[in-house]
Amino acid sequence: MISHFSLPYPFSDSNVYKYSNNAALLHTKNAIELTDRYLDEISLKRELLTKHPERCYHSSPHTMAAQWEIVDLIINNLVTYYPDKFELEKKDGQWIFSNLLTKETASFKFGDRTTLEIEPLDFIGRHVQEDLILMMQRDGDLILDAGQLCFPANWSLYFNSEMNFKEIHSPIPGFQSDFLVDRILQFLMRIEAGTPWERKNWSLMAGSRLDSSLETFSEWGQARKRVTKENAGELVHFRVEVQKLFRLPKSNGILFTIHSHMLSLEKFIQHTPWLEQFYAILRELPKAIYDYKGISLYREQVLDYLEAELKKR
Amino acid sequence: MHSKLQVRVRNIIEETSTIKRFTLEANDHSMLPYFSGGSHITTFLPYPSGTLERQYSIFNISPESGLFEIAVHLADGSTGGSRFWHQNVQVGDVLSVSYPKNYFPLSFQAKRHVFYAAGIGITPFLSMMAELAEKKSSFELHYAAKSKEQCGFYDYISKTYPHQCHFYFSNGDGAKRLLPTQLLNHRIGTHVYFCGPENLIQDFTTAAKSYGYPSFNIHAERFAPPQKKEQQAFQVKIKRSGKQLDIPVNSSLLEVLLQHGINVPFSCRAGGCGTCEVRVVKGQIDHYDSFLTEEEQRSNHMMLSCVSRGKGRLVLDL
Repeated sequence: MISHFSLPYPFSDSNVYKYSNNAALLHTKNAIELTDRYLDEISLKRELLTKHPERCYHSSPHTMAAQWEIVDLIINNLVTYYPDKFELEKKDGQWIFSNLLTKETASFKFGDRTTLEIEPLDFIGRHVQEDLILMMQRDGDLILDAGQLCFPANWSLYFNSEMNFKEIHSPIPGFQSDFLVDRILQFLMRIEAGTPWERKNWSLMAGSRLDSSLETFSEWGQARKRVTKENAGELVHFRVEVQKLFRLPKSNGILFTIHSHMLSLEKFIQHTPWLEQFYAILRELPKAIYDYKGISLYREQVLDYLEAELKKR
Repeated sequence: MHSKLQVRVRNIIEETSTIKRFTLEANDHSMLPYFSGGSHITTFLPYPSGTLERQYSIFNISPESGLFEIAVHLADGSTGGSRFWHQNVQVGDVLSVSYPKNYFPLSFQAKRHVFYAAGIGITPFLSMMAELAEKKSSFELHYAAKSKEQCGFYDYISKTYPHQCHFYFSNGDGAKRLLPTQLLNHRIGTHVYFCGPENLIQDFTTAAKSYGYPSFNIHAERFAPPQKKEQQAFQVKIKRSGKQLDIPVNSSLLEVLLQHGINVPFSCRAGGCGTCEVRVVKGQIDHYDSFLTEEEQRSNHMMLSCVSRGKGRLVLDL
């Protein structure tokens, strides 16, 4: 049974939500988190990667060294933080990686692409619930040069590939006009090895699909029209992305890991302080932001539902 | 806020009469992190009066991976870092250093990389040349020193990069000087990198611009100045309300602002994310953050309220 306790809560003390660099230092320096959904989500990921490689995986040729660095970082995290679930044996440059949950063992020569069937980033991404995005720092800018993305919240890896940070984020309201975009880019380019960061992002989703890519909008977007005050608790899901940011010291790239968590509104609001705060935030949310988050079609219905629930407490 | 590494001095080599090379290994026998070409570390030197922070470019020309190497030139009359390294540091000593950082990265789009070094300015180019050689990219080095004997890493460089290196020795017979006119010999698409005394960086940068190099193609190494650690109490005046606030030694400006109901947004509280930036109308700032650029810090118009402080009294645009 998934309860609200499993959901990372994205809001701070303030009842007014606005875009900011809400990053904080990551104290447990683990890029990866395993939840009780692990096996289900891994198998969904692998199915999507097999059926739709063009929208779930992209890499530029110059990212190979950085991809190996990501393999090194993630395997290290897995065996350090989950030693009962993952094992690594190193023998003369040969790595033997065992995933005890999927009962798989992979043997490869570290740094040698020909010893893996798929690219290193694609390989290691199939063992974690997180989506993995590699931004390379090139000539004073950050470029999305590789990624394995199965669970996008309404965006497209294929469309954003090889864009820079500003181009990727240009649809965000207010992001261009003020200095926020420059400030966040500056922050990202100053991330140092050994000092990873974390931030949380939230949205609402009509339905419960993790794989809500822009390419499949016609399949899941229609549910927005079906939301009513009566079904909102069950149909609408609160979605949180935990994003972790690591500097890769050898390639000087930045690894983003994105773990998407989802919980139905009826479970989310079981915790009254969350209900109260989320109601306040959604009510005050500027139109430009709820338009961007894709909530406009059913915001009123959700507010009605939350208000009715508040009255019951 | 930043993590540190414990390293042990494994080896000390006298490269010249004034340059020592220190090989550092992880104190727990693990591998030290990888680093990209042009990276440096901060070393934290234990001084009786407090910790002295000094930055050095790192490279690894030893046969083993997972090590950091630095080269330290004993400056005339040095009372700081170089003297400490030369006179106090012994094999087996354990020191704290930062993770590698890179403020002097190689250009991604350069068609060719040309390095200009004088004296100890060679050090960032050792890791940059190693990276380019591994990637089979095109580069050349122009390296000036007083003499062959005073030229650090002469043997290593001439043996490893025989076709890419050019030496200029200013002393003795047949002296050859490294002149900015050399910059006229490079093709379009070349990126140039300078490291050495400040006047070399300035002369070559000015010359490169006058020859038509886009400033995007010109790179120079500058280290962040060492930071002071002793905090002082200070005062601020809030411009709009006229309110005066005292910030005691053990509180941050952000804490005091929040206590007085001035809701500055914040996130990391460690000078790294830029969220709690406040505008400063008047007064001198002591910057302790790792977020603002040097230029922004020098402008004296903005500060991160979670870590940075005032000298005396500041007027804030709040």
